[in-house]
Amino acid sequence: MPSTIAHQTELSANVVLLCRFLRKKGYKLSTLEESDALRAISFLPIHSEEYFKEALRSVLTKSQFQRTKFDEYYQEFKDQLKKASDSKVKELPEEKKQPEKKTKAAQFDALKDWLNLTPSDEQKEVAAFSDLEVLTKKNFLDLSEDEMRLMMRVLRKLARKMAHQKSRLRKKSKRYQHLDLKQTMRTNMRKGGEIQQLQFSERKDRKLKLVLLCDVSRSMELYSRFFIHLIYAFQNAYDNIETLVFSTALHRVSEILDTNEVEKAFKTISERVPHWSGGTTIGSCLQDFTHNYGHSMLDKKTIVLMLSDGWDTGEPEVMRTAMKTIYKKSKKVIWLNPLAGSPDFAPEALGMKTALPYIDVLASAHNLESLKQALQQLRGKRKLPNTWSR
Amino acid sequence: MKSEELSQIKKMLQEQGYIDDGAIAMSIFLAMKLEKPLLVEGPAGVGKTEIAKVVAKALKTELIRLQCYEGLDSTHALYEWNYQHQLLYLKMQEGKGEAIKDLEETIFSDKFLLKRPVLNAITHADKTVLLIDEIDRADEEFESFLLEVLSDWQVTIPEIGTIKATNKPQIILTGNRTRELSEALRRRCLYLWIDYPTFEKELAIVKSKVPEIDQKLGVQICSFMKELRELKLEKTPGISETIDWARALASMHLEHLEEQIVEETLGVVLKDWQDMRHTQDSLSELLERTRVTSRIS
Repeated sequence: MPSTIAHQTELSANVVLLCRFLRKKGYKLSTLEESDALRAISFLPIHSEEYFKEALRSVLTKSQFQRTKFDEYYQEFKDQLKKASDSKVKELPEEKKQPEKKTKAAQFDALKDWLNLTPSDEQKEVAAFSDLEVLTKKNFLDLSEDEMRLMMRVLRKLARKMAHQKSRLRKKSKRYQHLDLKQTMRTNMRKGGEIQQLQFSERKDRKLKLVLLCDVSRSMELYSRFFIHLIYAFQNAYDNIETLVFSTALHRVSEILDTNEVEKAFKTISERVPHWSGGTTIGSCLQDFTHNYGHSMLDKKTIVLMLSDGWDTGEPEVMRTAMKTIYKKSKKVIWLNPLAGSPDFAPEALGMKTALPYIDVLASAHNLESLKQALQQLRGKRKLPNTWSR
Repeated sequence: MKSEELSQIKKMLQEQGYIDDGAIAMSIFLAMKLEKPLLVEGPAGVGKTEIAKVVAKALKTELIRLQCYEGLDSTHALYEWNYQHQLLYLKMQEGKGEAIKDLEETIFSDKFLLKRPVLNAITHADKTVLLIDEIDRADEEFESFLLEVLSDWQVTIPEIGTIKATNKPQIILTGNRTRELSEALRRRCLYLWIDYPTFEKELAIVKSKVPEIDQKLGVQICSFMKELRELKLEKTPGISETIDWARALASMHLEHLEEQIVEETLGVVLKDWQDMRHTQDSLSELLERTRVTSRIS
């Protein structure tokens, strides 16, 4: 590595600058990548910029998202570099960017600095934790962009925790961790009692299957951005999960969530799902679900999680039959209704009322605390008669 | 001279019938030059695994393949002690009064070591191509097993010590993004994303893989596929589907696409009943658009 950086030319200086620029854009680049980039360009013909760019892209990007963004950033960097050298100011280009880069986060920090008389980094850390405290009680509607990001991190952790439940049963394992004496004796009996083969065991995974049905109609619009984040977190934590969204028609989106970055997934889904027109027809969507997916997705190990406000413009009878089928075929039905958070809420919307007898848990999920409580319900068996909690 | 090597790789790819768009050749070139593993991601059926096969063929070396699956662990990927043989050996030596230290040395030697693909690749007499296919299917802990090999070209076996690579193999990892790969793995590799091909690239691929195909039919197939991918299907068909379809249609000696034939052979391209239904509904519109675009090109 040292030999490559030994003689710093203008080109290599610019490559290093580019790396620093990309780092600001969220690329995780270490000195390893920097030195790789410098080595890579030493293999190339000098005159071709196309090769140069291609090589840098090859070395500096580490995911599809970064790869698609690279061209744009590269151009931006070049423009800045040009500007900097034109004005004969030998400043680093990113220093010019500083004033406009003051995003909400920075402003927020500045405000806090002023309030707290500039806390040290350590204090900031603590502040971040107490932010979390506030967050748990804050309505999802009032979240700022930064709080949203913090929230996502919490959600992902939560989803992962819920996903990895181990059963008490043990099964044969290939991992050499827990020796199963009983099985070891048994297998080696037939070899005359000589221990030739060791048997191992591990705890069985509790196969929790989850079906998410998410309402993305206009009436849910305010919440659906958040809910897409939520189901994204879930989709990536669970193996056995199917996600469907509905407004006037039902769409299976598991695949999209599985294979895309969250922003892109969000975009693709909103493209695929036609916009709200006239109202939500939860009933017919659920009917569609029971007819086309019910046989493959529902069984007694499956928990159905519905996210909707229950405003239905269809026939209540259709909804009733569909809900009944879902209830009978599943392990548990959990309905998250963001409206249920307000103190004077009663399940009065017609759709909600119809569905109520076939719901195990109706919870609000309008802030983190209530969501956490609702997700606790993923464990355990169905309790009769059904409960409804705030 | 330096650009010669790059164009040489391009030529090699071409000779093997692999059509490249610049980015692929550059990535392979740099992976070989920088001696780094190459991580290839992209949707299903765009020729990720094919890269490794082509590189192996072009370098005229052996391709060692490790297909990943859930539950794959180090004993199947790196190495394993031949436990039964060790026991038998001990039994045989029982009455001979050999010192325990010697015995230990013998049973933990090369003789009783079962080499799995990764160890095999790095101890091979020649430079090989090691394909670790669908790495995202393996568990996360398996990724960590690989890290030592990927960055330092060595495998550490507690009983023997560290085995260094005699010849650094060219490692190619592929992934479908069924799971996000760890940051640690990513930063040890060069990254290549292969997307669905452009119309021109796809046509070139079809022509090279199915040389007997009618020119006009080839154009129509490719523009139909392009339109089909716009439909946002559950399982978007990849290049391999295009090639299968082209082969099927070419074997029927067709000269252009007809609605009935398309409908009957749609199963070659689409593998999901909902997609099938969706496509059949909009088939005539699709074909109409195909006709327009193929006339332009």
